[in-house]
Amino acid sequence: MRLEIDWTRCDGHGLCARLLPERIALDEHGFPVLPDRHVDDRLLPHARRAVAVCPSLALRLESPAPTRPVR
Amino acid sequence: MTTSLAPDAGYPAPQAWGAARLLAGTSAGRVDLDRHRTVHGRPRSLEAEPLAGACAAVRLLGRGGAAFPVATKLRGTPVGSRTHILVNGAEGEPASHKDRALMRLAPHLVLDGALAVARSLQTRRVSIVVQDATAHRSLAGAARERGDARGIRIIHHDHGFVGGEVRAVVRALSDGPPVPPGRRLLPTVHGIDGRPTFAANVETFAQLALLLALGVDEYAGVGARDEPGTTLLTILGDVPHPGVVEVPTGIPLSALVGSGTTPVLVGGYHGTWLPGPGDLAVSRPALRAAGAPLNAGVLARLPDSTCALGEVATVARWLAGESTGQCGPCFFGLPALAATLDQLAAGRPVLPHALHRVGLLPGRGACAHPDGAATFVRSALEVLEEEVARHRAHGRCGRPLLCVLPTTTRRGAA
Repeated sequence: MRLEIDWTRCDGHGLCARLLPERIALDEHGFPVLPDRHVDDRLLPHARRAVAVCPSLALRLESPAPTRPVR
Repeated sequence: MTTSLAPDAGYPAPQAWGAARLLAGTSAGRVDLDRHRTVHGRPRSLEAEPLAGACAAVRLLGRGGAAFPVATKLRGTPVGSRTHILVNGAEGEPASHKDRALMRLAPHLVLDGALAVARSLQTRRVSIVVQDATAHRSLAGAARERGDARGIRIIHHDHGFVGGEVRAVVRALSDGPPVPPGRRLLPTVHGIDGRPTFAANVETFAQLALLLALGVDEYAGVGARDEPGTTLLTILGDVPHPGVVEVPTGIPLSALVGSGTTPVLVGGYHGTWLPGPGDLAVSRPALRAAGAPLNAGVLARLPDSTCALGEVATVARWLAGESTGQCGPCFFGLPALAATLDQLAAGRPVLPHALHRVGLLPGRGACAHPDGAATFVRSALEVLEEEVARHRAHGRCGRPLLCVLPTTTRRGAA
C-alpha cells in the first residue's frame, strides 16, 4: 500500500508523524514529509491508525496504481 | 539588445523565423475572417479517431506546459454531446506572451481549431478562458464575425499563475473556486460540471487548425523529426530578438538566446537554468531529454548588467505570492525559500539552508507549483555558484537589480 496526502486538506496537525514515525516526519512548519510512501505489512496497522486519526481526513492509503495527471 | 518584457510595455511585434504558419498574414496586424480564409482556407473535418491519428503522425504535443501528446488526450475523451471543449488562454506567467499574441493576431485560427475538435468529438460545448483583455476582445470580435461560433463561451479568467492551471480552470467553470483540486482528477473524465472535457492550450488548438488545413505531410514538412512543425516562444533578456517568435522546431537554442556567456533559462518560471545553450535544439522531446523542459515556451538570458541572484530571488518571491494558499508546504515553504534567497543575496552563508528548503518542495502540493518552483531555484543555485560566492564575499555583486525577468503584483494579496 502507499500513503497519499490530500495537501489541500492537511492542516499540519502532526498526529500522523507521531503514530507512524517510520514513514512520516514533519517539516519546520509542521507539515508531513514522506521520503518513502510505501507501507509494508509490518507497518500497515500503524499506517491505518494514522489514517484513522487524521483530523482533516487528508491522509489515506491507496493501492499503487497512480494515474498520470493531464494538464 | 536588452528588453524587459513588462506586460505590454515596449513589447515588439511577434515575428516568424522561416515559415510563418500560426503568424501567417499577421504582419499587418490582426487577421480578420476574410483574410484568415484567404491565408488558411478552411480546415477539413475529421472524425475523432482520424484526427487523433493525424496528431500522432505529427507527434503533436500540448503547448500549455505539460507537453502531453494530443493524440492520447483525444483518444481518452469520449465522443458525444456531453463532452466539453476547453480552450485555455489564461496565460498566467508574466514572462509568457505567446498565447495572448496568438489570440490578439490570429483569433480565427484558435476558433477554427476549437470548432474542429468540437465537430470531431460531436459536441457543441466550447469554452475559451482568457486573461488578457485585448485578446478577449479579439476573440469575441472574431466569434461575432462568423456564423459558426455563436455558441462559444468566451470567459474572462484572471486568477493568476496557479489559477490558470487547467484543473483550476475546470473548477472555476464548474462554479467552484479557481484552484486545483486536492485529488487527481483527469479533465477528460471529470471536467467541466463533472463532464468529460478535452482541455488544451490556445496554441494547441491553433496547431490543430493548421494540421487540418495543411494535412499531415505539409504540416510535418518543417521542423524537427521528433516534433515536426513550428512553435511559438517568448524570448526575453539579453537576446538578439526579444519578444514572441514562431520558429520551426529543431532550431538551435543558441540561435534564439545568442552567443553570450550568461546563464540561460529554459521553460520560464517553472523552468530550468542552464550555464549556456550548448548545442541543444529547441523541441519539446529534445529539451525534456536534456533535463530542461520547454514548458510554456519561455526562454530567457540575463544580461551581464543585472544582479542574477537578485533576479532569481525576485521571481522566487513572485512564485511564493502565486501560491493559492491551499497546501501548507507550498504556502509556507515558498515564502521561507524566498526569504532564504534574499539572505543569500545579502551575503549570508545560508546556501545549505536554501537547498534544504528547495528539497522539501517537490511532490507536496495539489498541483505542480511547488515542484516547478523547486526546479527553477535549484537549477539557478547550481548555475549561479560563482554569483553566490561573490555575494558571500562582498555582500552583493555590485550590479543593480534590473528586473529583466518580469513579475506582477498579486491581485488582492496572498
